[in-house]
Parts: sequence; structure tokens; C-alpha cells
Amino acid sequence: MKKIDSIYIIDDDPITVFGMQKMLSLAVDCPQVESFVNGKTAIEEIKKNHESTGKLPEVIFLDLNMPIMDGWQFLDEFLKIPTSEKIRVNIITSSIDLHDKEKWELYQKKTHHVIDYNEKPLYKAEVARITKKA
Amino acid sequence: MSKGSEIADHKYLIKQLPTATAFVNTDFELVYASDKWLTQHNQSPCDAFGKRIDYLYHTNNQLVNTLSNCINDKVDRTFEECKYDPSGKKWFEWHCNPWLDSKENVIGLIIRTEDVTQLKLSEINLGRLRSKLDIISEIGKIGSWEYDLIADKVIWCGVTRKIHEVDSEFEPSLEEGVAFYKEGYSKNLISMAVHDALTKGKSYSEKLQIITAKGNEIWVQANGTPVYEDNKIVALRGTFQDINDKVKSEHKTKANETLLRTLIDNLPLNIYIKDKESRKILVNKAECDYLGISDANEILGKNNFELYDKDIAEALNQEDQQVMDTLVPILNKESRIRNKNGETTTFLISKIPLKDEFGKANGIVGISHDITRLKQNEAKLKDLVNVASLQNKKLVNFAHIVSHNLRSHTANFSMLLEFLVDEKDEEEKQNIIGMLTNASNNLMETLENLNEVVAINTNVGLEKKPIVLREKIEVVEQNLSAFLQGHNATIINNVPLDAIIKVVPAYIESILMNFITNAVKYSDPKRPPLVKLSCRKTAGATILSIEDNGLGIDLKKYGDKLFGMYKTFHNHKDSRGIGLYITKNQIESMNGRVVVCSEVGTGTTFNIYFNEED
Repeated sequence: MKKIDSIYIIDDDPITVFGMQKMLSLAVDCPQVESFVNGKTAIEEIKKNHESTGKLPEVIFLDLNMPIMDGWQFLDEFLKIPTSEKIRVNIITSSIDLHDKEKWELYQKKTHHVIDYNEKPLYKAEVARITKKA
Repeated sequence: MSKGSEIADHKYLIKQLPTATAFVNTDFELVYASDKWLTQHNQSPCDAFGKRIDYLYHTNNQLVNTLSNCINDKVDRTFEECKYDPSGKKWFEWHCNPWLDSKENVIGLIIRTEDVTQLKLSEINLGRLRSKLDIISEIGKIGSWEYDLIADKVIWCGVTRKIHEVDSEFEPSLEEGVAFYKEGYSKNLISMAVHDALTKGKSYSEKLQIITAKGNEIWVQANGTPVYEDNKIVALRGTFQDINDKVKSEHKTKANETLLRTLIDNLPLNIYIKDKESRKILVNKAECDYLGISDANEILGKNNFELYDKDIAEALNQEDQQVMDTLVPILNKESRIRNKNGETTTFLISKIPLKDEFGKANGIVGISHDITRLKQNEAKLKDLVNVASLQNKKLVNFAHIVSHNLRSHTANFSMLLEFLVDEKDEEEKQNIIGMLTNASNNLMETLENLNEVVAINTNVGLEKKPIVLREKIEVVEQNLSAFLQGHNATIINNVPLDAIIKVVPAYIESILMNFITNAVKYSDPKRPPLVKLSCRKTAGATILSIEDNGLGIDLKKYGDKLFGMYKTFHNHKDSRGIGLYITKNQIESMNGRVVVCSEVGTGTTFNIYFNEED
């Protein structure tokens, strides 16, 4: 089983978070799977950890439509964090808006991190495939 | 009586003859002459007698031959001789008779001469006039004719024959002459005219058609005048002119003119010509219609100031002058022109300079295309396109919302079901089923919300009624009294009683309720909530302002999402993210709009524009 140090799930829908956690537990060996209800709480935690330990989560599952701070706003902040580490961000969305896909392509170009785009629903096999180090 | 005295007697007698008479012997020597003869031929009696007459006459042998013949043949001769004399050329008519003695022997000639210079000159003049007339007649295609009533004979001149295309010997009868005229109007008219001329002495001059001998149909000018003798009409005389080319070109010009006039009168364009001083000298029917007159003469000669208000007239004058000064036409310029009745028309105006033979402008041709209707339709169409594209945008947006919301729920179902199938642990199974129930409830709620939005947007035509805004606020305040008291909130209703707006009553209550509860819900914990409502009127809209002292919203971050569906910006347990979305839809369905301004930590103001016009 793959081993990942730290995974963050950012989604305001508790059912999705529950499902993700369940599928991850089957797919990878990860001691730290944390969830956040919006981008704001997530970025605050990430920044705090980065400042104190210099570490970032290895894989992030990111919803786009969230209150307070949505997925794009989270990415804006996250990409500003100065790091040479390569993080994998899996966008998970139920949006079929073409603009979101175009936006994703734009973000891909301006970062060294790996940003992946996935439409809901996700199944175990897919989760296993995209849960890996960048 | 002696012979000598006899001769002297003769001489004296002859000298006194009243005619110019000379007697010559067979050698043509002058024997006797009357004083008249001597004067006529500028001879003095002392020099002339005994001299040969031909010498006296400074003339040629022809004369001698003639005189000899006269003597030899014993016959009378009359002939003309001309001679040059200091006063010019002179003609004489010579009458020669043989001079016989008592035994009938020819002893000479008796010559009587007559000065015919005047007659001769007249004859020459007449000849000249005749040939002149012939030339004029030939060039002008003017022939002459005469009808001799007594002899019942018609005489045509050469040109008249030529016009009729008959040969040079042709001599018609009166009936045959008339027969050349074209059947119908021409023939009837000429028959009447000739009849009237013969019976009543009326002259005529008519433009008629004949058919020539070769079958060509041509226009002629036929004139006729009676000729009187002893107060009786004895003849008709007249001219006959070929005016076919003239009439044809006249007809052509007239046809062209008619064509042009028909064209400009029926073009759906206003056409006019103005002179140097911008006075209208030609207008077509469309221009008359535009200026509200039935007869073009009412505006011909009028300038811009007589047809338009001062400001418009000045602008028009300047434009006209510019075209005439620069000779550069104005083409398809869009202009709004107000007439004296205050009605404004939008025209596409063209002004083209009219040049004289020196290339300078002495007027302009104006063509104006009334595009008022087109403009109105264009504006309507633009509005329609705007509405349609707005609707389309909203629809696409809504489709995304629906899709997103349904997909997120169905995605959950699908995921949870996958777990349920594989799950062995009974407790976990119950947990998953609990979540499925939750997901199902969420889906139901979402569908209800979406249904509400659809209802608002499909009920755009819902009847609007005038309501007193202040009273509506009071009702909502009443309904919310427990909620307001619970939050220690104060409502200040500054809306005047006379503020009346046309709205869907159910919507206005929902709108007020939403804004007021939001204002209280997102109040700053540091101070008791205060909501101020005021109202003002602008052109075309009544604006309701709802101002609170709450948390405020960072519009830079959330401005574009504020009215989105399922967007919340505060960590509040009651935030559903649907209220403002529905409120906005309700306002827009009544042709209104909502604008927000806010400062974090100070408060938020929503300005709601109610469109009163519709």
C-alpha cells in the first residue's frame, strides 16, 4: 500500500468528506488525513504548519464551490506559499461549467505543483490512482 | 416746199416726240432723234447726228447684226441692251421698226428705246428673294402651297412635295391633299380647318400628323390663310413645315421629364434642390409630405429659416454653405431634424453640390432618407437582444447551478451506495444509510429551492400592483417582531407615506423580509443591530435603501458571489446561501435591480431600484 505522510480534504459537504476518508483509508497508508469545511480554515492551518515545521500536506483534495473562501481563492493563497516542494492538488468538483475547466488550465500553467481536475462522483479505484506524491 | 425745209420740218417734229426715238439710215448713222432719246443716251445734238448708232452706244457687233437683220428682213424687233453709264448699269428695251420711204423701200430704222433699268433691277431683286426663299424653305423644311378656288387646283412647292415624299410632278386635288393626314384627330382637324378657312375666312395653324407617300408618319405644322379678291375668297395659301424632329425631341424631353418626375416623386426619399441662398427650388412628393403640405408651390422659394426653427435652420445653412464652398458632397450623414411642429425625424442626409458651367456651385441637391422607424426598430431590437442575451446568461447560469447542485447530491448517492454494497460492518451500514437519508433530504430541499427560482422566473408576467411602501415595511416589521426583539434590533422606517411603487405584493414582502433578517442575522456582536430604510426618487426609478450596521461584506472578495446560489460568506449556522439569490431574481423579474455597497466592520447598504415605468 502506498504511503503518504499527510492528506488534506477541503470540502463543505460532510458526506463527500466521509466518503473521501473512507476511500482513502482503503487506498493508501496515511497517518494524517485532515478535513476542512472551506478554503479559509484550510489555508490558515497550512500556513501555520508551514511556518512552524516547514511542511506541507503531500496531497490535497479540493472542492471548488465552498462558502467564505472557495477553491480558486484557496489556490491563489496556496500558490503564494514559498516552497520548492511539489504538492499534488486534486480538484474534485460537481461543476460542469466550462469556465472552471479553463481556469484550471490557467492555474496549471502558473505553478510547479501538480493540479489535477476530477468530476464527482469519485470511486475507490480513481481515488487510489490520484492519491500519490506529485 | 423745198426738200431742205421738209427735212428741217421732220427734224423739228421728231425732236419733240414724247418717246425716246431715233432714226438711223441703212448705215446705222443717226439721222434724227428726239430730245428725249438724246437725253436718255447722254448725247449732244451737235456730236451725235451722222455718227453710227453702235458707236454712240459703245456696244458690240451683236447690236449691228441685230439691226442688219431688221433691215434685211424688214421685220420689227424688240430686244434688251444694257450699257454702262457713270451712274451704273442701265438696261434699255429697243423697239426697232424698218423705216420705209413712200415706195416701201427700207431706208433705215426707227428705233424707240425705253429705260427699263428699274424694272430690270426689280426683276433681279425678285430673283434674289426667290432664291433666298428657296434656301430658307429648303433648310427650314418649310414648304408652301396654294389652292386656287376658282380653278379648283392645288399647287405644292418642291419642299411641300418633298415633305409628302411624292415626286416633283405630283399635283394633288384638295381631297388628295387632305387624305395625307393621319386618320382620326389630324384628318378631322384639317378638314374642319380648311372648311372654315374657305367658308368663314378663318386662318389656321395646326400641329398635325401626316402619313407620307412612303408610309412614314411625321409631324407637320400646317398653316393656311384665305386670299381675297373683291371681298371674295379666291384662294387659300399657306405653309407646310416638317417639325417631326422637333416634336419627337419635344416628346422625348417631355417623356424624360415625366420619367424623372415620376421617379423622384415615388422614391421613398426626400429629394430637393436648393439655390445659392438655400431656398428650395424643387421638392419631391416625399419632401412635401414630410413638410406637411399638399402643393409644392407652398414651399418653393422658402429658405431654411422659413421652414425650421432658428437653431436647426442655422445648422442647415452652415451645412449647405459648406457643401457649396468646398464642393465636397456630404454623404449619408445621420442627422436629427426637428420640424416646426416639434417632431424630430432621423435622416440619412446627402447633399451634393450643383455646379454651373464654370465649375462653381450655384445650389445643392439634397437627398434625405427618413430612418426614424428604422432607428426605433433598431433600438427595440437592441433592447430585445439585450434582454435575450441577459435571459440566456441567466439561463446558462441557472443550468450550471441546477447541474452542480443535482450532481453533487447524486454523486453522494452513488458514492454512498458503492460503500453500502461492500460494507460488512452492520454499524457502518446503518451509518451510511443515515447519510443516504440525509443526502436525500438535501436533494429534496435543493429541488424545492430550484423550483422556487423557476417559479419566479417563469412568472415574469405576474401582475404588479401599486403599494404604499411604508405600510409594507410596517407589516414585515410586525411579522418579524419576535425575531427583532430576540436580537435587540431596531428598525428605522424613514420611507415617506407617499412613496408608492408598482410591484408584485408577495415579492415585496419576501424581499423586505430577506434584507431585514439578513441585516440582523449578520450583525456585529459589538453593537445592537440597527436597520434604516429610506426612499428616494430618480428619473424612471424609485430607490429603496436598506442600511445596516452589521459585519459588512468584503465586496472585493465576494462582490461577484453575493447574489449567487448557495454562496455564504459568514460562518453562520443559518446561512443557506439561497435568500439573496431568490431576492435578486424577484427584483429582476419586476424589471428592477439591486446594488450593494459595504464596508467590513461598519455595515452594508442595499439599494433596490424599482422601475416605475412599467
